[in-house]
Amino acid sequence: MGQTRLRLLGLVAVALMLAAACGGTSSNTSTKQFKIGLVTDIGGLNDKSFNHLADVGLLKAVTDFNVKGDVKESKTGDDYIPNLTNFASTGYDLVIGVGFLMQEAVGTVSGQFPNVHFAIIDGSGTDAAGNDLKHANVASLFFREQDAGAMVGVISGMLEKQGKLKNNKGVISAVGGVSIPPVNHYIAGYKWAATMEDPGIKVLVGYSNDFTDPAKCKGVAQQQIQGNSDVVFQVAGGCGLGALQAAGQAGVKSIGVDADQKDADPSVIASALKKVDVATYTAIKSVVNGQFAAGALTFDIQNDGAGYQVDNFTLPADILAEVTKIHDEIKAGTLTPPADIPA
Amino acid sequence: MTIVRRVVGGLAMPLGSVVFAFVVGGLIVAATGGNPFSAYAGLVCGGFGIGCTQGENPALQISNTIVFLTPLITTGVAVALPFRAGLFNIGAEGQLLAGSMACTAIGIKFSSLPTPILLPMVLLGGMVAGALWAGVAGVLKATVGAHEVVTTIMMNYIAQWLLRYLIIGGPLQLAAGTSKSLPIGPGARLATLLPSDNSLIVFGLPASVYRVHSGLFIAIVAAAVFAFLLWRTTLGYEIRAVGQSQRAARYAGVSVRRTIIVTMLIAGAFSGLAGAIQIAGVDHNLTDKYFSDTTGFDAIAVALLGLGSAVGIVLASLLFGALHAGGSVMQSDAGISSNLVLVLQALILFSIAANFLGAIRQLIPGLRRQAGAPPPETPAAALMTEAAAASEPGSQAT
Repeated sequence: MGQTRLRLLGLVAVALMLAAACGGTSSNTSTKQFKIGLVTDIGGLNDKSFNHLADVGLLKAVTDFNVKGDVKESKTGDDYIPNLTNFASTGYDLVIGVGFLMQEAVGTVSGQFPNVHFAIIDGSGTDAAGNDLKHANVASLFFREQDAGAMVGVISGMLEKQGKLKNNKGVISAVGGVSIPPVNHYIAGYKWAATMEDPGIKVLVGYSNDFTDPAKCKGVAQQQIQGNSDVVFQVAGGCGLGALQAAGQAGVKSIGVDADQKDADPSVIASALKKVDVATYTAIKSVVNGQFAAGALTFDIQNDGAGYQVDNFTLPADILAEVTKIHDEIKAGTLTPPADIPA
Repeated sequence: MTIVRRVVGGLAMPLGSVVFAFVVGGLIVAATGGNPFSAYAGLVCGGFGIGCTQGENPALQISNTIVFLTPLITTGVAVALPFRAGLFNIGAEGQLLAGSMACTAIGIKFSSLPTPILLPMVLLGGMVAGALWAGVAGVLKATVGAHEVVTTIMMNYIAQWLLRYLIIGGPLQLAAGTSKSLPIGPGARLATLLPSDNSLIVFGLPASVYRVHSGLFIAIVAAAVFAFLLWRTTLGYEIRAVGQSQRAARYAGVSVRRTIIVTMLIAGAFSGLAGAIQIAGVDHNLTDKYFSDTTGFDAIAVALLGLGSAVGIVLASLLFGALHAGGSVMQSDAGISSNLVLVLQALILFSIAANFLGAIRQLIPGLRRQAGAPPPETPAAALMTEAAAASEPGSQAT
């Protein structure tokens, strides 16, 4: 009873507000230009990581398919739902949410706009309890991060085995953001491959519980370096830039994540690549071609959606040969890095 | 006549600050190659749903603004009340987080209780948690003289790390590998004004997209309570007396210690309420988005721009809520980075703190105050000097 009255009051209030604000409605043009909306997570477009790459994919699609591409950067987590809703309610054909953090928001908004296509990087549209709602208008763009992690793991493991690094005590490490699947996949591949190259190697794993504050990752990395780590693999987005810096200051090596991070710090010898640009581009292409498919779409080394890049460093011929060999085996499907961090 | 003049004088500073910020912001946009007019058109569309060119739904934009402004009102009060007692509460964010954590914990623990019991429980729980969080700073200030700016900032960090613990590996975590809590029970949720129904179409969109919830009314009542408390109660008188001069207040028989502690407790309760309302009305669970929440810091600007008055805080919250909602529309429509919103907020704060308008008025002869006119009405600046006086050496609370 009380609630009904409250709602009635609310209706009246909203109606009054509307009386003052009458807006236009969108009109359909005869020659269809597809409209693509991209919503970044709180990392923003200049994260040198997956938000940036998603934008790269969008810009490529704008050139190739003559679509209209617009971006909304989320300043706080409060912005996810308004930003997604805004695109969905203004006639966009595909709305792309970048990142695992947006799962619940995509789940909610995709339910409200069943006629709009949604794509989400690193996740699916979920309810509050984290269950995949499996909406028929949501494509989940997943990555086998372990593929990329394995490639940099091979490089780190071989360098450590050959005793070419500073401390040379058989220790390497990884700094994760939060212990969530996409982060742990990277670390799983890294540890698995390093152990494969050097069975006696010790891989330290720490979490900063943060994706944005470099100081927090720097602290975790410094502890690992004190524990004789020679290579620090950052898997923490913007926070991880602090881990790269810590490695540079201590004179050890580091590995970047998601995008090519050779410019982030001179200590970066390689980057594990998650080709979010490829995934974004593919999703847009599917909508433009009328072939949008809901559900999971996985990007890995086999379809060139994951990979590695050597930075600020020239790989010795024997390591390069090994890296190429492992890459080819993963690509051929004869070698499969695990999704869970090996014990 | 005097009242009119005082109202105009009181409005001049906040309005002047906003105009100053928008003019300088426009220059920055123009200097970086953008069109300030289309930028501001995007902001107005996004904030108030007026003059939209890309088919934005006005009702949706207004709804978003209201959702954003609701927590700003209560946290704005939480900053303004201690200002009146000469205290800087920089800890509204931490108190908000404490409130949201308490609300979530209670809402999960007693999730089967019905609304009439559980909803008051989670809201009061949030208020108590916020009050305790701020009370620590109040007690430290009143007993050992620890500066509240330092202690409230530190309490912010403690709240942020406690939150991380609770939802990453701690007792509230949903499941391993997630960074959010379980959802609170249905009985702990504040009703949205429109039913949360995807099939009911209101103003051309599903009703569930309008997230305005009854927390708005709670926030407005909170602002009214704040005004009543400050101007119509003995405690309010004591708070203002302590803010004006601790020595005089003590001479008049006011217990400065008690007033400081009580002020911080009440302020914390307002902030905690904001956190509880966000959980109960919008999010329904604690998530990693609270790591990046800035409501409690925006509240400082809201309290200053609102000149520490209830009406002013509500109006300033409306402006900041609209800026927040408008930023992303401006970005996609006009191609101007939504960071402009942060620049505007900073310029507003800067302009108030530097009191440009007072300086300009002194420079222009025609605008100079005539003799016999009421004393200058620059409450925000006055609040700061009061606070400065309170922290003079020798005026320690005893």
